[in-house]
Amino acid sequence: MSIIEVKNLNKKFKIKEKEKGIRGSIKSIIKPEYRTVSAVNDISFTVQQGEILAFIGPNGAGKSTTIKMLTGILYPSGGEIMVNGINPSKERKKLAYKIGTVFGQKEQLWTHLTPYDNFKFFGAIYDVPDNEIENRIQELKETFELQEFINTPVRNLSLGQRIRCEIVASLIHKPEILFLDEPTIGLDPVVKENIRKLIKKMNKELGTTIFLTSHDVGDIEKLCKRVIIVNKGKIIMDDTMSNLKYHYLDRKIVEVKLKEKVALNNEEGINIIKEKANGLKIEIDSKKKTIADVIKMLDTDKIIDMNISNIPLEDIITSIYKGAKVEVF
Amino acid sequence: MKKYLYIYKATLVENLNYITNILLGFINFFVMMFVFLNLWEYIYSDNTQVINGYTMQQMIWYVLITEVLWFGSRNKILTQEISQDIKTGNIAYNINKPYNYVLYIVSKHLGEITIKLIMFIMVGIIIGVSFVGPIQNFNIMNVPFILLTVIFGVIINSILRIAISIISFWIEDSTPFHWVYDKMILVIGTLFPIEMFPEFIRPIIKCTPIFVVTYGPAKLIIDFSMKSFMNIFIAQILYLVISISIVSILYNKGVKKLNVNGG
Repeated sequence: MSIIEVKNLNKKFKIKEKEKGIRGSIKSIIKPEYRTVSAVNDISFTVQQGEILAFIGPNGAGKSTTIKMLTGILYPSGGEIMVNGINPSKERKKLAYKIGTVFGQKEQLWTHLTPYDNFKFFGAIYDVPDNEIENRIQELKETFELQEFINTPVRNLSLGQRIRCEIVASLIHKPEILFLDEPTIGLDPVVKENIRKLIKKMNKELGTTIFLTSHDVGDIEKLCKRVIIVNKGKIIMDDTMSNLKYHYLDRKIVEVKLKEKVALNNEEGINIIKEKANGLKIEIDSKKKTIADVIKMLDTDKIIDMNISNIPLEDIITSIYKGAKVEVF
Repeated sequence: MKKYLYIYKATLVENLNYITNILLGFINFFVMMFVFLNLWEYIYSDNTQVINGYTMQQMIWYVLITEVLWFGSRNKILTQEISQDIKTGNIAYNINKPYNYVLYIVSKHLGEITIKLIMFIMVGIIIGVSFVGPIQNFNIMNVPFILLTVIFGVIINSILRIAISIISFWIEDSTPFHWVYDKMILVIGTLFPIEMFPEFIRPIIKCTPIFVVTYGPAKLIIDFSMKSFMNIFIAQILYLVISISIVSILYNKGVKKLNVNGG
C-alpha cells in the first residue's frame, strides 16, 4: 500500500537578482528584477508503507525542497502530493500528527530541559494522553537505550545521545512516517552504526516508514532497500539498492603489487587508474576482459599481492550525480 | 489549550536560569527612573499642585508603571527571533508541528516575561513607595480589574509586535517598523499621560495602541473608576480582535510565500 504518492510535483522559486555595487542596490530597490528557479521539476514517485527509502542527491538537487513540500512546510507550484491520504498543503496540522521529522543539523529539543521533560513536552504538543505518554517514554527509552541520560539536561548530552533523543522526540506520537534529514551528520563511526541499528530496529518493530536523506553512503547502504536519486530538480534514478549495485558489479577494481614493473597498456576493458613503482590499480570491465586474462597479462610469477574489489558505492553515486560513466577515484 | 499552557510552563522553567540577566536589566530602569523622578520633582517644585489633572505623586507613579510594563515585557522573541526565523528559513521547523505558530510564540513570550515582569512590578512598587509614598485612594478590590487590563495590554502588545515581525515575509528587515513602534510607545506612551498632550491630538493618541497597552492599565492603577475600566477594557477587546485578525491574515498569506533553501 502506498503511503506517499507524488505526481508531477513542481516547485519554482522567485529569486531577486541584484547588480553589483551601490548602483545595483539602488536599482534593485526601484526596479527589482527576479529570476525563476525550478527547484523541483515534475517529479513523480510512490513510497510503500513500512519501506526505508533513501532520497539522495547533490547539494541544491531539490531533495530538501521535496521533503518540505511532503511535510507541508512549502506549497508546491504544481502537481499533487498525498501523504498518508492527506494533502500536506491543505491539512498541514492534521498531517503533523501522522509524521515525525528529524533534522540532523537542527535541534528541536529544548536544551535546558531533560530528555524526559522534552518527551513530556512533545507528548503534550501532539495531544498524547498523559497515561499514554509515560508508557510511550518507557517503551522508547528501552528501544533507544536512553536509561543513562534521560534525566540529564539536553545541553549536557553528547551529539550521539542528543540525536537519539531527537529521534525519540519525533516518535512520541507514533508517526506513520519518519522523515530523517541527515540523521548521522557529525557523528563518529561507532555512534553512526548504533543510530543505524536503532533506526532499523524501529522500522522492524514499529513498522514506521522511513524517508531518509543523507550524504553518508553508509546510511544509505546499510539502511535502505530502495534509492531515489535527484539532481537539478529531476529524478535521475529510482531503483532498488541491489539493482543499483548489480548494474556496476561487472566493473572490478584490481590492485596488484608486483616484484618488478610490468608494462600494461590501456586497452578495451582495461583502464589503468594508478601506476606507482611496482604497484598497479586497474579497473576491469569483466564483460569485455576477464580477470584471468588480466592476471595472465601481468605474469603470475611476478605477483606478490592482489586485491579484487567492487566499485565503491560512493563512486557509483558520485558518477550518477554527475550524469557520467562511473569513474573510480 | 493544554499544549500552549505546556509551552508557557516549559519556557517559564527554562527562564529560571536567567535571573541574573534580568537583574542586569534593572540598571537601565534605575537610570530612567532617577532622571524622571528628578525631572517631575523640578517641574512640581513651584507651588503647582496639579498639572492637567495629575498630582506629582500620580505623575511619578504613572511613569513608574508604564516603564515597568515597558521594561518588564520587552522580549527579543517578538522583535528579532521571528524576523530572523523567517529570513533564515528556520521557521520551517516550527510550522511543521501541530500547533498554531502565532499562539506558540505568544505562549513562549509570556513564559519568558512572567518572572521578569513580576520582578519589575515588585521593584517598581518598592521605588514608588519609598520615593513618593503609596498611591492615594488605591483600593485592593480593584486589583482583579487592573490585572485583567495589564495582561490584555501585554498580549495586545505581543500580537502587534508579531504582526510587525511577520512583515519579514515580504521585506528583508522589519527592524525599522519595530523602531517606529518602540519610539511611539516609549515617547508618547510611557513618559507622559495622554492628558499632557494638546487637546486636538488626544483623540488620535486614544486610537493608537498606547491607549490599550500602557496608558490604560497605568491610568486605572493611579485613578480607578468603573467607567474608565469599561472604556479601556472594551477598547482592548476591539484591539485584540482586530490585531489577531491582522496577524492571521498576514501569517496565512506570508507562509505561502515562504522560501526555504537547502538543509
